[in-house]
Parts: sequence; structure tokens; C-alpha cells
Amino acid sequence: MAVIDVVNLSKAFGRKVVLDGVNLSVEEGESLVVLGGSGSGKTVLLRCILGLFRPDQGHVSIEGKVVQDLTRDQLSEVRKSIGMCFQMAALFDSMSVEENVGFALMRHTTMTLAQRAERVEECLNMVGLKDTQKLRPAELSGGMKRRVGFARAIALKPKILLFDEPTTGLDPVMTDVIGRIILGLKAQMGVTSITITHDLKSAFEIADRIAMLFQGRCLAVQKPEDFKANPDAVIQQFLRGDAEGPFLQDPPPPVTLKRNAPPISTP
Amino acid sequence: MPQSLVEQLGAKILDIITETGDFATVSARSFISIFKRPFDGRNFLYQLSAVGVNSIPVVVLTSLAVSMVFAVQLSFGFRQFQAEGLAGQVEGLAVVRELAPVITGLMMAGRVGSAMAAELGTMQVTEQIDALECLATDPVQFLFVPRLLAAAVMLPLLTGIAIFVGYLGGYTLLVGVQGQSAYVYGQDFYKLVSFRDLVIALTKGLVFGLIIALVGCWRGYRTRGGAEGVGNAPTSSVVTSSLWILISDFFLTKLLLV
Repeated sequence: MAVIDVVNLSKAFGRKVVLDGVNLSVEEGESLVVLGGSGSGKTVLLRCILGLFRPDQGHVSIEGKVVQDLTRDQLSEVRKSIGMCFQMAALFDSMSVEENVGFALMRHTTMTLAQRAERVEECLNMVGLKDTQKLRPAELSGGMKRRVGFARAIALKPKILLFDEPTTGLDPVMTDVIGRIILGLKAQMGVTSITITHDLKSAFEIADRIAMLFQGRCLAVQKPEDFKANPDAVIQQFLRGDAEGPFLQDPPPPVTLKRNAPPISTP
Repeated sequence: MPQSLVEQLGAKILDIITETGDFATVSARSFISIFKRPFDGRNFLYQLSAVGVNSIPVVVLTSLAVSMVFAVQLSFGFRQFQAEGLAGQVEGLAVVRELAPVITGLMMAGRVGSAMAAELGTMQVTEQIDALECLATDPVQFLFVPRLLAAAVMLPLLTGIAIFVGYLGGYTLLVGVQGQSAYVYGQDFYKLVSFRDLVIALTKGLVFGLIIALVGCWRGYRTRGGAEGVGNAPTSSVVTSSLWILISDFFLTKLLLV
């Protein structure tokens, strides 16, 4: 049975249709990467999976439980088995790193202070951040914030991890570090994961399967090697990173603007 | 054109009804959440300090200023018909029944309510509230309840402080400046005031505290649209809660004085 099942999911905001009949399923232990341009509905998909948005049509089920039919308490129970890593980390800025990572432990477990501190240290070590417990989020770099966000997400040992653009805005080296951490977490915890990213390099590294969202629809869900060979023009343009093609609805600006070009004279 | 005007009016009315319904729902959720576990005692203590202790200087200064100005006006007014002796009595009545609770409420709407709206608004636009949801924590329980309880406990206490400072403000002016007898002022201040008036004042403080916390938290919680939204949330919170403080003051006075 699929751990996460997205069935005919549609969501619109006013007249803007963001998701239009998306179908996806993620098996236990599988790592699915969702690719797509800005505004293609990737984040909305994650939010529907977490029950933060209510779909207009279709549903999401997690381990057989339909998310939108759950009561708040039942949804909280489901969310305890999901770790969510936000795009900009979303750390609680009034708390230290230790309090951030130990937040769910404090709320949902009966661990003693020492046990919590031990688990927090363990989580921080897993993301390569030793001895940062006492720092505040404002004292951390962008990459460190993301990693603290990862540590917070894994504190309760979730079965499912969701990553929302974990490498956006980071330098190439830090992007690689984040990619390795995700791979490490997958290997150590054996979690089922969905990663949303624009970064093709890390996408092909971490994916068991890759899905491509375009204009609210799912164009393909394939193994990385099949995805690379997919003849779809949109997918090929996305993989090439080329401005010319069907990916953009508006025509791109002209590419050959010469420096010191003579002003355009009107007849 | 007239149709579009009617449409606009209809849309505005629908917005108001939707917002009122949402506020009522979130408020009801907040009151229910008070009895849910786990209770965040540390956050509650922090809020007691933020809402109450840190507000004492503002309340003292405002209450002192308003009570002294009011004493000047009373003294001047009663002098017109040679009845300066009544100034102390009316000062006591006005401070205990109206000035202390309302001034405290309005000042706290500006100081505390706006801070709540700004803090929760920032948390909303930086996805911290979504993060709370994802960590299986009800934001209403975690964020609203400590603030609501702290405001409910602290506003009556601050109103009590405002009454005491109001007494001192009147004393400074009427005894210190106008030369009335300290003994007479001490007797007069409480002459027209009964214990029930004090209970009414503290009840008003409690209601104003609930209004300030609920409106401030709700405005922050419903913040949309980045920096602009965060900028609007405190303004809107202060205007809304001040308005409701004044409206509820009228009805509380009418109901409780009968």
C-alpha cells in the first residue's frame, strides 16, 4: 500500500487554478522528487498533503487516512509521523536552536530534560551541526537554518519527510551539503520522502522517482533515467534550462542585446 | 454603475460577516483550548511579564497625567459656583468608574494588542505558524491561550494600579497645588464610590483584557501579504480593539450599574 496517495487533487485560489487533477503515490521508503517551475503548484501540493490547505476536489491519504476527513486531533496524530522542512526553515525566532529542535519532543513526549537534550544533540549531529544548541536563529546562516529545520523535522523520528525547496538561495557547495544530508537521512532513517526542488543535480541524486508538475498537472512520474529520456518538450526544456520552448507562457525577452548598440531610430 | 455600487456594498457586507464569523470561531477555539493539555506554563509566565509587569510604567504615567488634568478641570469647574470641595468626590467617582479602566484598556490596546498582532503576523508570513501546525501543535492553543490568560489576569491588576495612581494624581493636584486638606481629600475620594464600583472597574479591566488579546492575536493570525500585511495588523488591531473597548464600556456601564 502506498504511504502517500494523492488522488485527482485540484486546488484553485479564486480563478487561478493551481492544481488540476494531480495523481501521485509514494511507496514506503521511496524518495519522490517533484520538479516544476515557479507557480506550478509544488508547494500547494505539499500543503494539501499536510492538511494546511483543503483541496477543492480529490483527496490526499496518508497510510490510508484521508487527510481532509480527519478531525483536528486526528490530523495532529498523523502530523506527528510527518517531518516538514520549510523553504526558509521557519524556525521559531523567539527560541534557541535547542528549543526549536526539541519543540515537538517537549510537546508530544514524556522525555526528561536530559533525554530531550540527548535527542536534540543526536538530531543536530545528523545534520552536521554540533554545539549550536544555544544559538538563536538570527545568528545562523541560511544553510545552517535549513539544517536546524531538518533536525527539528526528524526529532520525533517521523516515517515521512517532506522538503520544500531545501536548496533554494544557497550556494552550490551548501546545495551539495544539503543534498548529502537528505541522502544521509534517507539511509539512516529509511523514511518515505517527497522533495520539491529546482535543483536538478540534487534531484537526480536523491530521487527514486521524479514527478514533473506543469500548469497544475502532473506531466510524468518516472525513474530518473526514464525521466531524462522523456521526449516531452516541456520536460526536455526544463532539463536543458533553456528560455526558448513551451515551458513559458509569455515569450521570453530577446537574447542578443549588444552592448553599445545604436539607439533604435524611428522612421 | 448603480449595480456595481450595490455589488461593492454587498461584497463589503459579506466581508464583514465573514470576518465576524471567523473572529467568533477563533475566539471560541481559544476559550476551549484553555482546558486542553499540554499547558505551556513557561510561556504563560513570560506573557504575564510582557503584558503586565512591563506595562506598569505606561499605566502609571498615563493614569497620573489624566487624573491630574481631570483634577485641574474639576477644580476650575467647581470654582465657578464655589463648590471646590466637590472636586475630590467627583475625581474619585470618575477615576474608579471610568478613567482608570478605559485609559488602561486603551493604552494596553496600543502597547500589548499591537505587539501581539505584530508578533503573530510576522510568525504567519514567515511560515512559523504553519511550522507549529506541522509539529502537531494547535497555534490557537500555543499562541492565543497564554496571551489571553495573561491579559485576563493582568488588565484588572493594571486597572487597580491605575486607580491607586489616579488617587495620587488627584492628591498631588488638589492637596499639593490647590491647598485642600489631605484628610478631607482622603475621605472625599471614596465618598461617592462603593465596593461595587471597584468590582465594576475590575470587571471592565477583565473584559478589555479579553478584547485586547483576542483581537490582537486574531489580527496577527490572519495576516496575509508579507511586510504590508504585518504593517497593517497592529494598526488594525489597535483600531478594532479600541473601538470595542469603548462600545463594551458603554454596555458594561449600563448593565452593571443598574
